[in-house]
Parts: sequence; structure tokens; C-alpha cells
Amino acid sequence: MKFSEIDVAVIGSGPAGMAAAIKAKEEGAEHVLIFERQEQLGGLLHQCIHNGFGLFYFGQDLTGPEYGRRFVKRIKDLGIEVLLETMVTQISPEKELMAINKHEGPICLKPKSIVLAMGCRERTRGQLSIPGTRPAGIFTAGTAQRFVNVEGFIPGKRVVILGSGDIGLIMARRLTLEGAEVKAVVEILPYVGGLIRNEVQCLHDFHIPLLLEHTVTQIHGEKRIEAVTIAKVDKDKKPIYSTEQIIECDTLLLSVGLIPENELSKMAGVELDPLTGGPVVDEHRETSVAGIFAGGNVVHVHDLVDHVSWEAEVAGTWAARYAKKYMFEKKPKLVLRPGRNIRSVVPQLIRGQEDTSLYIRVKELEEGVWLKVDEIYSQRLRVVKPSEMIKVTLSKNQIEPMIGKTEELTISCERVGKHE
Amino acid sequence: MNEEKITCVGCPMGCETTLYVDARGKVIKIEGYKCKDGPRWVMEEYQNPVRIFTGTILTQKSSTPLLPVRSNRPILKTKMKEAARTLIKIKRFIRVFNG
Repeated sequence: MKFSEIDVAVIGSGPAGMAAAIKAKEEGAEHVLIFERQEQLGGLLHQCIHNGFGLFYFGQDLTGPEYGRRFVKRIKDLGIEVLLETMVTQISPEKELMAINKHEGPICLKPKSIVLAMGCRERTRGQLSIPGTRPAGIFTAGTAQRFVNVEGFIPGKRVVILGSGDIGLIMARRLTLEGAEVKAVVEILPYVGGLIRNEVQCLHDFHIPLLLEHTVTQIHGEKRIEAVTIAKVDKDKKPIYSTEQIIECDTLLLSVGLIPENELSKMAGVELDPLTGGPVVDEHRETSVAGIFAGGNVVHVHDLVDHVSWEAEVAGTWAARYAKKYMFEKKPKLVLRPGRNIRSVVPQLIRGQEDTSLYIRVKELEEGVWLKVDEIYSQRLRVVKPSEMIKVTLSKNQIEPMIGKTEELTISCERVGKHE
Repeated sequence: MNEEKITCVGCPMGCETTLYVDARGKVIKIEGYKCKDGPRWVMEEYQNPVRIFTGTILTQKSSTPLLPVRSNRPILKTKMKEAARTLIKIKRFIRVFNG
């Protein structure tokens, strides 16, 4: 493999990276190269052994490893080049890329285009500032998932889970099936953080208590965690100390959110959106640096892997076209601005040159709303939840008349009027 | 007539549905689903809830000690723990192809 001839370099081989690389190759990029820091392709899919993957993408209920294997097979069939156990250490704004592995040492290359597909990482105890001692036995849910599903260790026997993100819910079931006792899932918000189906299948099925509007106020134990103090919280999420109770446990799992992993993006000078934590992208998933594209959880954290793959395919397609110097007239862009009760919107910029899907996340749970994109689109929704991303597809014909007329479109949730 | 609230677990949409059940236990009407498979999923969840079971078995191979496995069809949700206990007993040498 000649590194000087790479058309599209893809950083990461999770569901996003694999989908992007496949699409780039199919779109006609001759030399597509994937960088993966682990020993195998697939990112974290191999540790997500539960089912529920691919219901929309493949129309089948697959496990993580099954979902991943379909993409791995396609990568091999297409002859996409892969560097495993290779860490990308640097990307410059000029798209010079530095990587390192034990076979070739440092690798420098200048691909024609780059797809960022580094995914995301978990928030840790350090980002929560829970008071108490610092004993062993506190893990993020994803780390525990790796122990149980890949390495074959149970992190503990009596478990409390803080946060009700999907990985935490999945691990509540997994640990129960492996013989551990999950004493409670503690969630500071008045609603569950993960998908409702995971609440049903992982907690209700096994009678695991879910304590909403509660949080951990203290961690006890010297060498190993021995107990946590939990308390109910008030409307401002402040603990009500009179409601404190102690739960004995030997393990605390944290499932308190995911953050897009963007160290490389920052080095490349890519503009980040403080609302998503990922790069600002247009509908082609091109970042603020021409020729650098991004897709999947590195852009914004998705609920479902199916959407990760679809989004990354857009990035892969356009990365290949960029590498081939595909010419198209770039129209002025519209900025999408989050309005009332909207946390974030991806893409943040659109040009209205083709039909475009917007991925929208709301700030707070609300019932009976109109979801509006300025004057051009509205949809009545029975309920909106922060845990469920909303997908809105706008046609080219809807967007085009706005170009030139305005510079931004506001996305908002409006309450349904009483008379409606 | 009784009302029964059931969350459909057929897909990640997780529709909140209501079943109207008459005195003899017959489901008269289902509301709240959003797809054509909805009624089938909800009825199954009401009468006979089943789940795909997933777990791991030991491979006795140090580099990949575990092999993820799944049930080839859904099993009763009340049998999940029993299925997990059965898997632990499988400890023979497993050769993995196409892994």
C-alpha cells in the first residue's frame, strides 16, 4: 500500500467508519484506508452483544457483533485497505495525517479527503463531582460491558447504577442474568435517559427498581466501594438531605452520558458546536475545513446505530466526491438555529441542494407540541423527549425558496394551542 | 371493560399503547401503535411476552475467552434467567469459525 495515493482516509472503524469507507469506495474512490486503534474492525459493536441493532437499516433484529460482521464482510469484499492497531495522532488543517503502529512506526500521509469517525466516550465520575472516598469498584457502564461481554469478568455482585442511559439499562439486565444483584438504577431526571423499550426489557422484566429524581450524594468505602448514599432531588436537581438513604453495594456503574471524541478534530482546526460537542457540519457532513467530513457519534450522540451508519454514509459519499474533485455549485448556506426547547440540530448548515434530513434533540420532555422549522415545515407531536432524537426530512423544494431570503432557519417546539 | 397500558417493544419507537379488554378477557381494541405490525406486537406482549435471549459462552481460548450467542427465536421473558444459567454450564471446547 502506498500511503501517498490515498483518496479517502477514515479515522475509526466502528459502525460510522465502516459505513463511510464502504460508501466512499462504492462512490468510486480508488484508495480508501481505514485507521483503527483496536485489533479488529467494528469499534464497540463486539461488546454490545444484545439485540436491537439493524431493525431499520437491515429490517432485521441483530446483535452488535452480527451487525458489525455484515459491514466487515463488505469491507473485505470491496478490498478497502485497513490499518489495525494504528493510532492517528495528528491531523493538520492542511489534511496532513500522522499515525503510528508497531509495524511501520510513524506514518505520514496526505489523503485527498478525511472522514472523522472516532465516535464518542463516556462521561466519568470526575465530570460529576460526587463527594466521598475514592475506592475501587466504580466503573463506567461501557467499561463494565467490556469486562462482562469480552473479557469474562463480573465487576461485582451487588450493583447500583447511576444514570439511566441505554448502556446502563442494558448492563442492569446483563449483570442480573450473570447472577449479580442490581439494587437500583438511580436517575436524577424525572424520566429515563435511555429508550423506553430498554426500560421495559431491562428493568421491568427483572423487577429492577428505577429511582427517578434521585441521585448519589456520597460514596462510602476505603479500598473497595461499600455503599452509596442516595437522596431525592428537588426541582433544581439539588439533593433533599432529609430523604437520604444508604444502599450497600460493591459496585457503582455510571451511565451518565456520552461525549463526542474530538481531539483530532480540534487539531485539524475544525469548528465545534458547543451544543452537540461535535463538529459543525453541513448536509454533506463536511466540517468547516474543506475536505474533512464527519459522521456518526463523533458529530452528535445518536440513539440508534442504524442512524449512525446512515449519517456516516453521507460523509463517505461526499468525501469520495471531494477526492474526485466533483464539481458542484455551492449555494449560500442557511444556518439552522435551535429555538424554543431545542437542544441541538444536525446538520447545523444546509444549502438546499438536495433533500435533507435534520436530526433534532429537545431540551425537555413536553407533551402536545408543534415541531417547526421556521415557516417551511411543521409537525404535531404527541410527546417529545430528550432521549429520543427526532428526524425531520425536508425536501429540496421546501428549502430552496428560503435561500437568499434569509440567512437562518429556527427550529422550535411550540405548545399546541388549547383550541386545536 | 378494563384498560391495560402496554409499551410496545417491537422496535425502538416504543409506542405507548392501550388495550381495551372486556369482562371475559377478550381484547376489544388496541390504541396508540404507529405501524402495521403494532397490533401483533402488542397482543404478544399482553398474552405471551417473549424476548430474544443473548449471552456469552466460554471458548477456553485465552485471546477470545467469550463467544457472544443469541437464541435463534424469541423465548418467554420469564425464562431468561434460566437460559443464562444453562449457558454457564456449557464449558466444552468451542471452535470458532468466521469469527
